[in-house]
Amino acid sequence: MVLVLAIGDLHIPHRAADLPLKFKSMLVPGKIQHILCTGNLCIKEVHEYLKSLCPDLHITRGEYDEDARYPENKTLTIGQFKLGLCHGHQIVPWGDLDSLAMLQRQLDVDILVTGHTHQFKAYKHEGGVVINPGSATGAYSSITYDVNPSFVLMDIDGLRVVVYVYELIDGEVKVDKIDFKKTAATQSAH
Amino acid sequence: MPPVSALDQTPSSSAHESSTVVRFSSLRGVRWRIDLGVLPSSSSSIVDLRRVAADSRRRYANLRRRLIVDPHLSKDDINSDLVKDNPLSQSPDSIWSRYFRNAEVEKMLDQDLSRLYPDQESYFQTTTCQTMLRRILLLWCLIHPECGYRQGMHEQLAPLLYVLHVDLQYLSHVRGQYEDHFNDEFQGVSLPETDLSANYRFEKIMNRNIGTDGDNSSQGKTAKVRSLDELDPETKDIFFMSDAYGAEGELGVILSEKFMEHDAYCMFDILMNDAHGVVAMAEFFSPSPSIGSSTGLPPIIEAASAIYQLLATVDSSLHSHLVELGVEPQYFAMRWLRVLFGREFPLEDLLIMWDKIFSYPNNKNFPHQANELEFRCRILCSPRGAFILAMAVSVLLHLRSSLLATDFATACLQRLLNIPEDLNVKKLIEKAKSLQALALDLVFSSCSQGGTSRYNREGRRGHSLSYGSSPITPNQLSDSYWEEKWRSMYASEELKKGNSTTTTSSDKKKEAVARKFSLSRTGSVPCPMEIPNKNGGPSDEKTIVDSNTENDQSKYRCGIPSTSEVETESYFHGEQDDQNIKRKQSDVAGETCFSAENLSTMTSPLRMVNDHEYDSDESSATSSSLVVDSYDEINHVEEPCSYIIDKEGITKCISESGHGSGREETDAAPLKQQKPLAGRFQLFQKSNRGGCQGNLENGTAESKTSLLMQIVALFLFYKFNHPRCNSFSVHERMKDEDKDINVTLRTIGKSMFDKIQIIELALKKDQIPENSGNSRSNADDLGQQQIAAFAALDELQKISNLLSEM
Repeated sequence: MVLVLAIGDLHIPHRAADLPLKFKSMLVPGKIQHILCTGNLCIKEVHEYLKSLCPDLHITRGEYDEDARYPENKTLTIGQFKLGLCHGHQIVPWGDLDSLAMLQRQLDVDILVTGHTHQFKAYKHEGGVVINPGSATGAYSSITYDVNPSFVLMDIDGLRVVVYVYELIDGEVKVDKIDFKKTAATQSAH
Repeated sequence: MPPVSALDQTPSSSAHESSTVVRFSSLRGVRWRIDLGVLPSSSSSIVDLRRVAADSRRRYANLRRRLIVDPHLSKDDINSDLVKDNPLSQSPDSIWSRYFRNAEVEKMLDQDLSRLYPDQESYFQTTTCQTMLRRILLLWCLIHPECGYRQGMHEQLAPLLYVLHVDLQYLSHVRGQYEDHFNDEFQGVSLPETDLSANYRFEKIMNRNIGTDGDNSSQGKTAKVRSLDELDPETKDIFFMSDAYGAEGELGVILSEKFMEHDAYCMFDILMNDAHGVVAMAEFFSPSPSIGSSTGLPPIIEAASAIYQLLATVDSSLHSHLVELGVEPQYFAMRWLRVLFGREFPLEDLLIMWDKIFSYPNNKNFPHQANELEFRCRILCSPRGAFILAMAVSVLLHLRSSLLATDFATACLQRLLNIPEDLNVKKLIEKAKSLQALALDLVFSSCSQGGTSRYNREGRRGHSLSYGSSPITPNQLSDSYWEEKWRSMYASEELKKGNSTTTTSSDKKKEAVARKFSLSRTGSVPCPMEIPNKNGGPSDEKTIVDSNTENDQSKYRCGIPSTSEVETESYFHGEQDDQNIKRKQSDVAGETCFSAENLSTMTSPLRMVNDHEYDSDESSATSSSLVVDSYDEINHVEEPCSYIIDKEGITKCISESGHGSGREETDAAPLKQQKPLAGRFQLFQKSNRGGCQGNLENGTAESKTSLLMQIVALFLFYKFNHPRCNSFSVHERMKDEDKDINVTLRTIGKSMFDKIQIIELALKKDQIPENSGNSRSNADDLGQQQIAAFAALDELQKISNLLSEM
């Protein structure tokens, strides 16, 4: 029963001032065990805020991040799942599923989390899952219209992962749930 | 635990209850369940037992289903409101919130459970047991949110689970014995061919087992046992209880491994919160007073004080010893009662003890009225509660010798919380049984309306015991004594002040008085005069003595600290201080003091001062004791002088007190002073006389001393009786006063007289560096004495004027 938060593309302070209040009230410390941040925070204060939510914080570098020390990709293992993290601006065309699948095979992960498009997406693809948490602040994006603030919470429990999507639509928080089950004998890199 | 231990239990338990035919004597779990009320009484049939068991298990299963939440189990097809039911939801009744709350409680539980019986082989540290314990406790806490989880509950639950486990082991052992019958095989029973094999199997089993349930009949049974009827009743019972095909099927299997958790929960629930009974362990954990409590104390405090009360009736010496040391009952009783002695005894002993505790019924047992009464110790108002009380007292009695041997409260507590392992539990239980009737009486007598006053008293006493009212100090008992002393001190101060001629000394006196005021305080509001006087008295004395000492360092060589108080005390009260300190309650110990030494002449007023000093300033007493030694030296060297000095001091004291009384006028003061002073001064008078006779070398001085004393005494007496009389008549009165019955004033006068003498002597010493005033020319002495006397008289006159104004 591990709760993993996937969040990114906040673009604070350039394109957005802060997280939406309703999101902020939901994100309380103590419940979440890991945070995967796709990038583009952009400043240190946001980094510290996320750190306060959970001490186990993983960030990859987005193109507007002011801290240059974040890695390009990151992988980690939680429970039975291998997770991969990348901002996604490196993968061209941006948001293309096949290209992302290439990265997934490259990193050899079950769950790949990327961002940059500011649009929530969750694909089941070749035995793995590709998740895009969108932009938590709803920041402007040149490739997406009508960006809604969104983020993703994954509940990893054994071989099953439940993905909760939180979106702020018209001022209300909407929650959606997607179930993914990992097959017991998963071969990597098909 | 190997089955052998189960075997060990059986003979002991059956022997223990050989007097009564107890069913299921070998199955502790069943017996406890019956005793606690989970299962119906043992006289009911197996079928009933099974039904009740099944019901209780169903209840528990429902509870579990309802309260233990696993968010993952929520069905996908259920139309759950995701906005509410997501993990980050803030809504308090979402599944996830409940889940997180439960997780918090479980975390707390785990802390305690991990430390439960942490031995290597302990059953309690196995995962299954821990999971079950955790779940049971979690559920109980969820159902009883007002109580929550308290440390200690896990220790109460653990043995309950354990006995069920032991029962199951025993069952498997018996199964092993009678494989034939317990086997669930539906193969044909008695085919001739298989007979032999069955017989052979039986024989093998028989040979394997050394001791069985104590019934030798099974030994005698050869291979012919086929039907259940041939089994002994006990084994038969066991069979029926474990039969999966009996009433209620699997759910009714009484000795069931699957439902261990359910059964343990039921036992725990009843133990903690018995709706029909009285002793509810949950109350021991609650910090607030129970409803209907007359004392308003938390139940554990009430119970603890009840223990002490029972102990007081049974063994008052131990009780008083513990109370004196300040060992509050709840220090150890809290742990004893909250876990029902679970922490004090090893597990096996504990099980035996709990056997006995549970065997007592738990219902209210009122011989009289049936209406609600106020209970002082409501929680223990039942035979079971009384037995628990008795058990606690019997443990206390067992530790009696080691408790009485120590004089430290911490050592006592250590002993009480670390009971030695070698005790014989059976003996303790026997003792407790004998005390139980007494305990029952105690608990109920205090509860009955007839004993209202008694229980009020007891309640208060219990209250005071619980709340640590300090053991009765001698001070408390001798309040009046001290008051008297203070009054006498006051009087002596008056006299002292009246006689003092030295302005500096008077200033010092005032300062000392002021100091004394701040130091000691009496509760006697109506006599404010006494307070300052008491304060001022000894200080005044001291100041005077100080002045004396300044004059003659050689005489007063004392290693005393510069505080005048100390010096004065040391001079006058040293020995008496020690004596007085130790014998506060004793009557005016003038006699003893007097007999002591020359100093004893100064005993009574000194003692007043002493006592007062002791009251207000213990350090001074010690310092005075220090001074005593030095003073002893002086004493021996210059007996008459010291004697005179004493008298001077006293006189001064008296004069000062006279001053003090003059300053702060209260009508009551003189009157009050009279009585206490009477005794003191009388003794003082005697001592003076005795001292004079015994010790003085100078007859003249002696006579003069006595004369002066009498003057003073008479004057005092005169003053108190006739405030308006002219002081000049003192001389005349002297003779009259001798016959006067008012000893008080006489003594007062004597003290004044003494002080006058002191002043005189001081003056003398000023003039003559040598000590012995004995060699003074009579004329000189007389002259000086007269001067001093007149001075004293002047002061006394002032006092009288003031008194007359009162």
